Amino acid sequence: MPIRRIEVREKLMARNDELAAQVRSRLAASGVAALNLVSSPGSGKTALLERTLSALCPELRMAVISGDVQTENDAERLARHTDRLVQAVVTGGACHLDARQILTALDEVDLEDTDLVFIENVGNLVCPASWDLGEAAKIVIFSVTEGEDKPLKYPRMFERSEVVVLSKADLLPHVPFDPVLAMEYARRINPGLRFFRTSSVSGEGLEDWFGFLRERVRDQATEPA
Amino acid sequence: VHELSLAMGACRIVEDTVGSDRLGRVRTVGVVVGAHSGVEIESFRFCMETLLAQPPFEAAALELEHTGGDELRVDYLEVEDADSED
Repeated sequence: MPIRRIEVREKLMARNDELAAQVRSRLAASGVAALNLVSSPGSGKTALLERTLSALCPELRMAVISGDVQTENDAERLARHTDRLVQAVVTGGACHLDARQILTALDEVDLEDTDLVFIENVGNLVCPASWDLGEAAKIVIFSVTEGEDKPLKYPRMFERSEVVVLSKADLLPHVPFDPVLAMEYARRINPGLRFFRTSSVSGEGLEDWFGFLRERVRDQATEPA
Repeated sequence: VHELSLAMGACRIVEDTVGSDRLGRVRTVGVVVGAHSGVEIESFRFCMETLLAQPPFEAAALELEHTGGDELRVDYLEVEDADSED
C-alpha cells in the first residue's frame, strides 16, 4: 500500500493556548484581572492568599481557583476567609493546571460581580511555566527558606513571571538567605521583574502587595475590553 | 514531568488529522522538539512510543527531530493510503 505524507505542523500547546485565549477574552469582557500564583510546594501561596482575602474583602471582589494534586485542603482553608467562591481543582496527579480547567472553573464564577481571580497553581516550579492559563500575569512566590539560586535553577518560571513575592520574610534573621543576591539572580533571568517582600506571619510588606493588587484591578477595569 | 500529557496531546492531533478510524494506518509520526521547549526528550520519547505501540495505533513509528529553539509540534504523518489508486 502506498504511503502518503501529511504535513501537520500543529503545535502541541495549540489547544491549550486556544483555551487560554478564551479565558483571557472572557475575563477582559468583564474587566476582571486574573493572577496565576506559582511556586515550589510550601512557599506560602495559601498563607498569602489567606491574608489577602481577610484584608481586602469586601473592598475587592475576589474569587480563587485553587489547584492541588490531591485534597481540597487549601480551598477549605481559603473559604474560611471569604464569602465568595473558592474553587478546588484536584488535578489527580497532574503537575500543573491547564487552561481547560480554568475555563470550566470560570463557569461557576459570576464575573460581572468579580474584580480579581486568583489562580493558585500546583506547587511546582517547572511545569506550570509551560501552561498559559489566560492570566494577566504570573507571580512567583519565592520563600526565604529556599536557596537564592532558585531563579537560576528554574529560569523559565522567572522569565515568564512579572512579579516575585519574597515570602516568609519574618524568618530572615534565622536563615542564611541573602535577599539582595536572590533578587540579583532573578533580575539576571528577567530584568523587568518587580519584587515584594512579605511575611504572612508578621504582616510585613503586605500593604505594598495589597497596593499592587488594587493597582492591577484599576488597570484591568479601565483597559478597553 | 508533563511529558505523558504532551504525548497524549500529540496523539490527539494525529487522530484529529487522519480520523479515529484510520489510526491503524499511521506508519510514522514526525515530531519536532526544541531544546528549549521544556520537554525532557527521553521521557517524551518513552511516552510517545508506548502510546503508538498500542491500539488504536498499530506499530506507528516515532521520528523525533531536535532543534535548538523552543518549538514543540507534530510536524508530519506518514499514512498508508488506502484511497489511492496506485
